[in-house]
Amino acid sequence: MTRDVARQAVMRKKTIMPETTVKSPSGVNRVPNRGYGRWTPFWFLAPAVLTLLLIGIYPTIFALVTSFRRYNIARPREGFPFIGFENYASVLTDSTFWASLGTTARFYITVLPIEVMLGLCIALLLHKTGMGFLKALARVTLVVPLATTYAVVGLIGRLIFNRDFGVANQVLNTFGFDSFDWLGSPAGAFAAIAIMDIWQWTPFCALIFLAGLSMVPGEIEEAARLETSSKWALLKHVQLPYLLPGLTALLILRSADVLKLFDMVFVMTRGGPGSATDLVSIYIQRVGFRIFDLGTASAQAILLLILTIVISRLYIRILYKEVQ
Amino acid sequence: MKRLLKLCTSVLALAAATASLPAAAMADWLEDAAKPLKGTEISGIFLDRPGYRAIIKLLPEFEKKTGIKVNYEIVPYENTREKQVLNFTSQGDLTMALVDLVWIGEFAENGWIEPVADFSKDSKITDPNLKLDGFFPLLLDAFGSWGGKTYGLPFDNYSGLLFYNSCKLKEAGFDKPPATWDELAKVYAPKLTDASKNQYAYALQSLRGETQSADSFMRFLWPFGGSLLDKQFKSNLMSKESQAGLKFRQDLMKYMPPGIVSYDHAEAVNALAQGQVAMITEWSAFYGTLVDPATSKLGDCLAVAPEPAGPAGRLPALGGFSLAVAAQATDEQKKATWLFIQWATSEDIAKSYVDAGGVSGRMSVYKDPAVKAKYKFVDPMVASWQAGVPEFRPRFPAWPAISEVVAEWGSKMMLGEVTVDGGAKEVGTRMESILTKEGYYDGKKKLLQ
Repeated sequence: MTRDVARQAVMRKKTIMPETTVKSPSGVNRVPNRGYGRWTPFWFLAPAVLTLLLIGIYPTIFALVTSFRRYNIARPREGFPFIGFENYASVLTDSTFWASLGTTARFYITVLPIEVMLGLCIALLLHKTGMGFLKALARVTLVVPLATTYAVVGLIGRLIFNRDFGVANQVLNTFGFDSFDWLGSPAGAFAAIAIMDIWQWTPFCALIFLAGLSMVPGEIEEAARLETSSKWALLKHVQLPYLLPGLTALLILRSADVLKLFDMVFVMTRGGPGSATDLVSIYIQRVGFRIFDLGTASAQAILLLILTIVISRLYIRILYKEVQ
Repeated sequence: MKRLLKLCTSVLALAAATASLPAAAMADWLEDAAKPLKGTEISGIFLDRPGYRAIIKLLPEFEKKTGIKVNYEIVPYENTREKQVLNFTSQGDLTMALVDLVWIGEFAENGWIEPVADFSKDSKITDPNLKLDGFFPLLLDAFGSWGGKTYGLPFDNYSGLLFYNSCKLKEAGFDKPPATWDELAKVYAPKLTDASKNQYAYALQSLRGETQSADSFMRFLWPFGGSLLDKQFKSNLMSKESQAGLKFRQDLMKYMPPGIVSYDHAEAVNALAQGQVAMITEWSAFYGTLVDPATSKLGDCLAVAPEPAGPAGRLPALGGFSLAVAAQATDEQKKATWLFIQWATSEDIAKSYVDAGGVSGRMSVYKDPAVKAKYKFVDPMVASWQAGVPEFRPRFPAWPAISEVVAEWGSKMMLGEVTVDGGAKEVGTRMESILTKEGYYDGKKKLLQ
């Protein structure tokens, strides 16, 4: 079916083209003057491309080059010599780096399924017919956590999980449980940063899924409802195919987000207690801006970039295949 | 009678003139020195702490006298070094360095700050009453000096002090604070702790970061005769004394509130201020917070004493900042900055500085009976500054990297994730690896800390 559509588009193009060209007296086809020249699109695009090069590509190339140098800006007298793969070797044999990467993986595996499941539930609720005003209100409310700065989320987290006057313990006390030392125990601190991340990013998942659900043609959904009363069957066979592209984008974005998550965790725990919440971004920041070993920090960042690309390619390969 | 009256008036006038002499003299030399620098702008970084708020209050006086404009940016402590290092390496606009005691080696060795002697030899821009020997020698040595040269003048000065709730101690049958750590743990702590009522004897700020490494871990090495490094710069953490100190800290945890590893300075001060704990060992700078009724319930119950002594004596935590001239500034800016630093740390404004909430490093101001009577922290703080270890935390450029290691493994020790000797071994191994890279073991670098 897709091939037919493409063929039709090509045919249309073929039939339109001769109409838009004008024959000159010399018999040469020329494009009529449409009010802009050949380079006009280039000038429109140039600022965006230049900005991207300046703030996106240049720093990445700089980090790549730096990762092959001994580059400690707190030791300017030692110079910044090229040292080949020494920084990469030191990162790959650094047990703290691997431990922080492990903590990040654990965090990712903990928060992502919960965010996806909760987000899907919220999206399905909002997709139901009726209660228009409340749904509109809920959609607006969903944006609030997303619009909150990471550092502020961290500060809110510090207050919520404070042992003595935090809301989290008040809730526990209401249900007859003892106060829990959230930020002072390794498990509690990990749970606290996970809860704050879920609070902030579940709405994003919900909105993406809601957009996917709104793409399902009404007549198909109605027909499916007449065929089956099972909500699960409806979700699996009718709605899910429309949700998969959004889910892929979501997984790619959240993978990158989790790998670079810094502000919220730094404000809440600074990576502690011990190394319970020492995510890889916190460790890289320490190496880069406490020790100022930018060579090693760049090598770590480049390795993370590679990891993000690999994970993204995997998602695209597995989930897009599913869509096709 | 008239003659007597005249005589009295003359004596009073003379006394008044003599009393205002130093300030007047200061004003004279400062105004003269600043004449060619009028309109010069200088800039530095300040913290959001009482000592900086105090100098900001007094700043208009300096700007009016000199015509020099002082620009400052208030930055959280955690970002101060990062901001300054980036500024110095990119030849930025800072003309003055705010030097924490642990940064002096790094700033001096990289040539980011200039020795005081470069300016003090020029009498045109130097206070005739500069008197470097008027600073507490420990402070000038620890905060401002590196490799035998003085680079900065002590500006924001702290000593570790024992702040305690005297009412709670009285209720428990104690009419004075513990004199030794041993006494605190064995005699005071059991009577002052009642976990069922959420009451604890002592809180030790131990949040991962500089708080864990400097305020928690190092605090229990020196008084017990231990240290981080031995004379050859090898780890000394496995010595009997260092182990005794670290194990003592571990044992003391049962008298601290749960979750103490998540306590920063604010949480520890708040625990005392709100009556949850009876004692804390904190920087003198937090006195203001503890006496302020808006932030503390303590009222007259607040009392201050020197930190308890250990088997090796009373060696309290030492911390603070000096101000130094940045090497990247222009000649005019350097001179103007030098004038500001001398003024901000001078004996002449020391009392106004203390009254505005600062802690001066000048000895003379604390001899004033009025100052002693007004501020409870003065006597214990002066006592703490009589003796101490300048290298309470090593001040060499490798400290930030070592501090990270200590912070991580120190927290793990407190959480019981590693044993005290296991954690100490790990810190030692990693620390020696950092020092090897720095070139301390192959004779490339002098063993200065």
